[in-house]
Amino acid sequence: MQSTVAAPSAKPLRRAPYADLLAELNQSQPPTARARHDATVAFGPTMRVERFVLGNGLKLLILQDASAPVICLQTWFSVGSRHERAGKTGIAHLFEHLMFGETEDSAHGAFDRLLEEAGADTNAATFLDWTYYHTNLPKDALPLAMKLEANRIARLVLRDPQVSSEKEVVANERRQRVDDDVDGAVSELLYQAAFRTHGYGWPTIGWMADIQGFTTEDCVAFYKTYYAPNNAVLVIVGDVTVAEVIRLTQEHYGKLEASDIPVENVLPEPPQTEERLVETKKPTTTQKVALGYRSPALGDFDHAPLVLLNEILFGGRSSRAHRALIQEQEIAIEVRGWIGSFRDPGLYDMFLGARGEHTVAELLAALDVILEGVKSAPVTLAELDRAKARLELSTLQGLESVAGKAEQIGFYETVLGDPNELFHRLDAYRRVTLSDLLRVARRYLVSSARTRVEVLPDGAAADDDDDDDDDDDGEEVAS
Amino acid sequence: MSAAVVTPVFVESSDALPIVSVLIAFRSGSAFDPPGREGLARIAARMIRRGAEGFPAQVIEETIDSLGGELAADASPSALTVHFEVIRRNLEPFVDLVAALLRAPTFDEVELGRLLRESEAELIESRDSDRGLCSRAFRRTLFADHLYGRRVSGSIASLRSITRDDVAAFYRRHLARANAVIAISGDIDEAEGQALSERLLAGLPLGEPIADPVPPPARKPGRHLVFVDKADRTQTQMVIGGLGTDANDPDHIELTVANNVFGGTFTSRLMQEIRAKRGWSYGASSRVGFDRQRDAFTMWTAPKATDAAACLALELEMLHTWLDVGVTAEELTFVQQYLIRSHAFEIDTARKRVHQRLESELFSLPAGYHEKYLERVAAVTVESANAAVRARISVTDLVIGVVGTHAEIGEAIAKAIPNLASVTVAPYDLE
Repeated sequence: MQSTVAAPSAKPLRRAPYADLLAELNQSQPPTARARHDATVAFGPTMRVERFVLGNGLKLLILQDASAPVICLQTWFSVGSRHERAGKTGIAHLFEHLMFGETEDSAHGAFDRLLEEAGADTNAATFLDWTYYHTNLPKDALPLAMKLEANRIARLVLRDPQVSSEKEVVANERRQRVDDDVDGAVSELLYQAAFRTHGYGWPTIGWMADIQGFTTEDCVAFYKTYYAPNNAVLVIVGDVTVAEVIRLTQEHYGKLEASDIPVENVLPEPPQTEERLVETKKPTTTQKVALGYRSPALGDFDHAPLVLLNEILFGGRSSRAHRALIQEQEIAIEVRGWIGSFRDPGLYDMFLGARGEHTVAELLAALDVILEGVKSAPVTLAELDRAKARLELSTLQGLESVAGKAEQIGFYETVLGDPNELFHRLDAYRRVTLSDLLRVARRYLVSSARTRVEVLPDGAAADDDDDDDDDDDGEEVAS
Repeated sequence: MSAAVVTPVFVESSDALPIVSVLIAFRSGSAFDPPGREGLARIAARMIRRGAEGFPAQVIEETIDSLGGELAADASPSALTVHFEVIRRNLEPFVDLVAALLRAPTFDEVELGRLLRESEAELIESRDSDRGLCSRAFRRTLFADHLYGRRVSGSIASLRSITRDDVAAFYRRHLARANAVIAISGDIDEAEGQALSERLLAGLPLGEPIADPVPPPARKPGRHLVFVDKADRTQTQMVIGGLGTDANDPDHIELTVANNVFGGTFTSRLMQEIRAKRGWSYGASSRVGFDRQRDAFTMWTAPKATDAAACLALELEMLHTWLDVGVTAEELTFVQQYLIRSHAFEIDTARKRVHQRLESELFSLPAGYHEKYLERVAAVTVESANAAVRARISVTDLVIGVVGTHAEIGEAIAKAIPNLASVTVAPYDLE
């Protein structure tokens, strides 16, 4: 019997994706502009994000979507209010304004004017962990938008008149969002009381005195430190080709030099061992209370089950809190809860607005019964399934437009390093069990680690408070 | 008769996401609220999810959530809408649910009482919003006794007068197939959409088309200040305006284009002068409202209390200049380019496209309103834009709404407005 053993055939070497394209585009480019394909990242079951990295460290994420002749261009910087220091709070947010100003190549106002003329709309947002700049544009405006975006990363002109003017605008924004807004003021007091060490304790918009005290030198130093290609993620979603986007990125961003991004001096928040209470008075007709329990970081295993628990407690009209406090007992007009989606541990914050003459004490008593309920016994499987379905719908709804997709890609890349974490979370929600919910309820709904802000209408007497506190800035009365 | 025969149904398919969105709009709304029953249309809409035969309120809510859906029912001055969105795999049972809610609402007395008390509490809570207070004071003054001057959500007194019979009668008369328009978008094709519409409306009567009861609003002569007094305001919400445009005006597009020059974009005159140059207000904009009849033209700012009078004076001066001098050729070209090039974002999703079609039908817009929009924008000239501004906008007939602390800035605000015909100071909890 003759047998033969086939020699293993030589496997053809698998070419790296985009190898030919990159070989062509990288020709004659300086090292800072050379692009490499980092990964093809799944973004849900059907979409794919291509991640490239330039030699200067700029990350470029592309999602092709030819459903309409439009593009969303976003630039995410890994700098937010957490990177500030006491006395200089709000400077990350101030940049959200300054970045629309004069550059070495264009006059003040030219950025907005040129983009509007091209049919684009721009905006920006800042939060605790990040800042991002957003442009919705018709597809033929991409070269212009990328040129302007790259230009302001390295060539922004910061002089006294621009800084002074934008400080005024931001001060007015603060008056609108915080000083004259009950919800905004309460949220600020809650985080201030809950975080005594970590940078999450000061407001993203900054304290008014800090806003008014910024100097041009402060701004220049901040800009040089954090606005660099190796601290940025460029996200492009829409009717584009990969080749044209890489070519434009190399052309406009390729000469930017990387910076030494400082190691962040993170100060973890020490464990909270006693409940903290802040009382404040506001010109409002009803009492309100905000609560902050300690919550895990976005990347923590417990985050997804806690989000589901929040849906069961506060998500929609069938939730436990809505049903009990608004529909059955009729003591509240508003109930809501939110788990912080932050890089570091944050707060599970809850807000209750009393109805009519009902009091914070009544709200808290009713809420405590509900919270004890989810700590003492498992929720029902039907409740868990409803929460999962609600989160699936809201995730999908966020992906309708190019801007929605870009925002999710940029957020998850910046905070967790992977756009597909959005869909990993959906998978995580599906895996959550009743036991998980019982565990996170008991772990995080801990009264001794709770911070409480109580709002009384102006003119009302604070309960058992000997201080004659006419100051509406809030006063911590117990710890 | 099938729903499709009497009810316009528009479908825009997109398989980009496994979601289906359905908007059922009825030619109804708060304009039809009987005197003394203001808020009735909104209450009727909100009762849809509070009980139907075989579906107690709590079961409805749990079913909506368990199917991965959302349901919203509400009223505006000229429409009563039921909107739902659901994950595609659960579309069939969700349609069955909504069809049952529309077919056989129970108007349960207990639920109605609960909703009325909740709505009353919401009115009180809305006093926390300075911008909402400012808008309300402005419209109450500008439209006075006209139907557009009333509140969609009613008043505490009117809510207390609404009965179950009122709600049932309103529902029976208005939620009819002859009054409905449906817009469907998402992961669904045309034939499925038509069949779905038939099922949704199968339990509703054919009914009669109901005429719009809203007469054209009259201009309010003179300049009128309505000051909403609220303590401790560091900032002042301000609105200045008067009557604006009607979609059937021959110069409707001309006015909207000219308004973009004045306050419709980030580089507009208002934004440049008030925010960019002076840093007085975080936002500065103008808008021409839109409804079945002529709605309001408004200018909005929110300056620091100590800047409010100067800001108001500047806005009035800018308004004068806009009317007297008009827009320039350069400004007009710029805005035309912006509107034409950015138009792709008006139609970039199936939902936006289908809602344009629904809007045309619901508001009886002139033929080709959306389809010929770009053509009409391109055709606007400096002369036609400025003629539209002068014809439609007035500097002598104005209402100025302000929310602030009257003891601190009331006098300065009044002095900043030449030729004031009246000043009204209202407490912030007036309504």
